Amino acid sequence: MAALVLPASLLVLLLLVAPMLLLFRISLNEFSPTQMMVEATSAANYLRAVQDPYYRQVLLTTLAVATGSTLLALGLGFPTAYWLARMQGRWKSLATITVLFPLLVGNVVRAAGWLALLGNGGAINATLLGLGLIAAPLPLLYNTGAVVAGIVAVVLPYMVLTLSAVIEGIPRQTEEAAANLGARPMTVFRRVVLPQALPGVAAGSVLVFVLCMNTYASAVLLGGPQFKMMAPAVYDQFVRGNNWPFGAALAFILLGITLVLTVAGSAALGRRYRC
Amino acid sequence: MIISRRATLAGAAFAAAAGLPGIARAQAKQVVVGTWGGDYGELLRQNIDAPLMAPQGIEVLQDVANADPRKTKMLAERQARRGTFDVSCLSDTDMHMMAQQNTLETLDMGRLSRAGSIVPGLRKPYAVPHIYSALVLLYNPDKVPVPPTSFADMWDPKYRGRVGFSDILYSTNTFAAAMAGGGGFGDYKPAEAKLMELRSLDAKVYPSNEALAAALKGEEVWITPMWLARGYMWQKAGIPLRHVVPSEGAYAIVFEAAIPRNSRNKDNGYAYLDAMLKPEAQTAFADRMGYLPTVTDASLPPEIARQISLSEAEQARLRSPDYDYLLRAHTDILDFWNKQFKG
Repeated sequence: MAALVLPASLLVLLLLVAPMLLLFRISLNEFSPTQMMVEATSAANYLRAVQDPYYRQVLLTTLAVATGSTLLALGLGFPTAYWLARMQGRWKSLATITVLFPLLVGNVVRAAGWLALLGNGGAINATLLGLGLIAAPLPLLYNTGAVVAGIVAVVLPYMVLTLSAVIEGIPRQTEEAAANLGARPMTVFRRVVLPQALPGVAAGSVLVFVLCMNTYASAVLLGGPQFKMMAPAVYDQFVRGNNWPFGAALAFILLGITLVLTVAGSAALGRRYRC
Repeated sequence: MIISRRATLAGAAFAAAAGLPGIARAQAKQVVVGTWGGDYGELLRQNIDAPLMAPQGIEVLQDVANADPRKTKMLAERQARRGTFDVSCLSDTDMHMMAQQNTLETLDMGRLSRAGSIVPGLRKPYAVPHIYSALVLLYNPDKVPVPPTSFADMWDPKYRGRVGFSDILYSTNTFAAAMAGGGGFGDYKPAEAKLMELRSLDAKVYPSNEALAAALKGEEVWITPMWLARGYMWQKAGIPLRHVVPSEGAYAIVFEAAIPRNSRNKDNGYAYLDAMLKPEAQTAFADRMGYLPTVTDASLPPEIARQISLSEAEQARLRSPDYDYLLRAHTDILDFWNKQFKG
C-alpha cells in the first residue's frame, strides 16, 4: 500500500523540494550588482529583511490583510456553507456549481473586473456621478479595502466548500434534539453546530490563510503601486531588482511565518475541538 | 528495419509533444523572438515577420512578456547550453546589463547586410538599435497654459497633486528628479531630497503607463516625464498633450535587439536583426508608435517627422544613460523609489 504514495511523493520531491533547496542555497549568497550574485554562506539577507523597518511593515500588512480576509471569508462563508450543506435535491448540485463559478475565472481577469467596477471611471463612480450624488470620483481603488474585497472574492469558494463538506457530516438530529430541549437557534449554532464544525473551520481557515498570505495579483492590481504585500515584494526583488539572494530570503521568511502560524492555529483549534 | 514516412512524422509529432524541441525544430526554420506584446509585438509581426521573414522561409515565434521577466529568464538560463530566445528585444540599459552578465553574443557585423546603415552614435558590439526616442516632459496645454521648460517645473506648488509618474519608469523618474536637483547622468543622489519634496506636493504614482494615460485623459494628471514616442501615441489617441525637451538634459532611450549566447538558431537570429534594420520596417514603427529610425536611410513622412523628431539643438544635447552607473546604482534607485518615495 505504501507504494501507492510513491508517484506523488516523487513528483513533489522533484518539483517542490528540489527547487526549494536550490532557492534556500541562493538565499545565503551575496548580491552583486555587476555579477548578480556571489557564492557565500551568510545570513545577511535574512538579517536585513528582519531589521529593515520597510520589510517589517510589508510583513505586518501581509499578516493583517491575510488575517482580516480569512475572518471575513469565514464570516461570509459559514452561513452559505450551512445553507448549502442542508440543501436537498437537484438544486444542491446547481448551488455547488454556482459557488464554484468564480474559480473558473483567473485571478488577473477577476482583478480586472474589480478595476472596471471600482476605478475612477468605473461603474460605481460613473453611476454616482451620473446621478449627481457625488461631485468627484470616490477613491475606491488602490487601498486596503479594495485588496481585501478582491482577495475575499477569490478565497470564498474554498472556504464555503471546505466548511460545507464538514457541516454535511453533522447529523441534523443533534440540532433538532437541542431545539427540542429548548435551545434557541443561536444557542444551537454556538453549542451544537459550531463545535462539531470546528475541524472544517480549521481546515478552511488554514487553506484560505495560506492563499491570502501569498496574494499577488489582487495586491498589485487593486492595491496599486504604494500598497505592498510580501509576494509582490519577493517578485520585485527577483525581477525588478535582480537581487535573487534577498528575494529568496524574503520568500523563505514568508514561507516560515505562514507555516508557523497555520500549524499553531490548527493546533489551537484542534485542542479546543477535543475538549 | 524499414522506417516509413508515416512513422517518421509520428515520431516528430511525439518529439514535439514530449518537449524535445531539438528534434521538432529541425523540421522548419524558426526564430524565437523575446519581445513585448501590444503594439510593439504586433508591429514586428506586421512589418518584419510576415513581409521580411516569411519569404525567407523562416517562421517567427514571439515569446511575449515585459522586459523584467524576460531578463530574469535570460539570467536563469545563462548557464544552460540551449536558451529560449534566438533574438532578445530590450531597452539599451537592460541590454547593457544583460551584456555585463555575459548572456549576449558579440555580433559579427559582417553577417548583417544593413550594419553600415546604423546611425553611428547608436552602434554597440552586442546589439543592434531598433528604434529610439527621448525623455520629455508631457503636459496638458489646457491646464498648463505656460509651457514648462524644465524638469524643475514639476516642483512648482501650483501643480500640487497634478504631477504623475508611471511606476515602471522609476529609473527615469528618478533621473528627472536628479536633474532638477542639480545631479547628472552619473549622479542620481540629489533625486532623493527632490523626490521627497515632490511626495509632500502629493505627486501620484500609477501602476503602468496605461493607467497614467487614463489619468492624463481624465485630467487628474497634468504633467509627467515620459518618452516622446508615448506622448505621440497618446496624442493620436485624443489625449490633450504637448511635449517639451527639458532644459536640464535630453535622455535617450534606444530599444535594441541582440542574440543570446545560447541561442539555438543564430543564423536565423542574424536574419531577424537584419530585417529589423530595413528602412520600410523602421518607418512603420515611426508612423504607428512615434519612435525614430536608427538607420540613416529610412525616410519619414514630413508630418510625422515634425511631431516626433528632435530639433538639431535637441539632438545635440541627446545623451545615452550612464550604463555603468545605472548597473551599480540600480538596486539603490529601486529601493529608494519603493521604500522612501512610495513607502
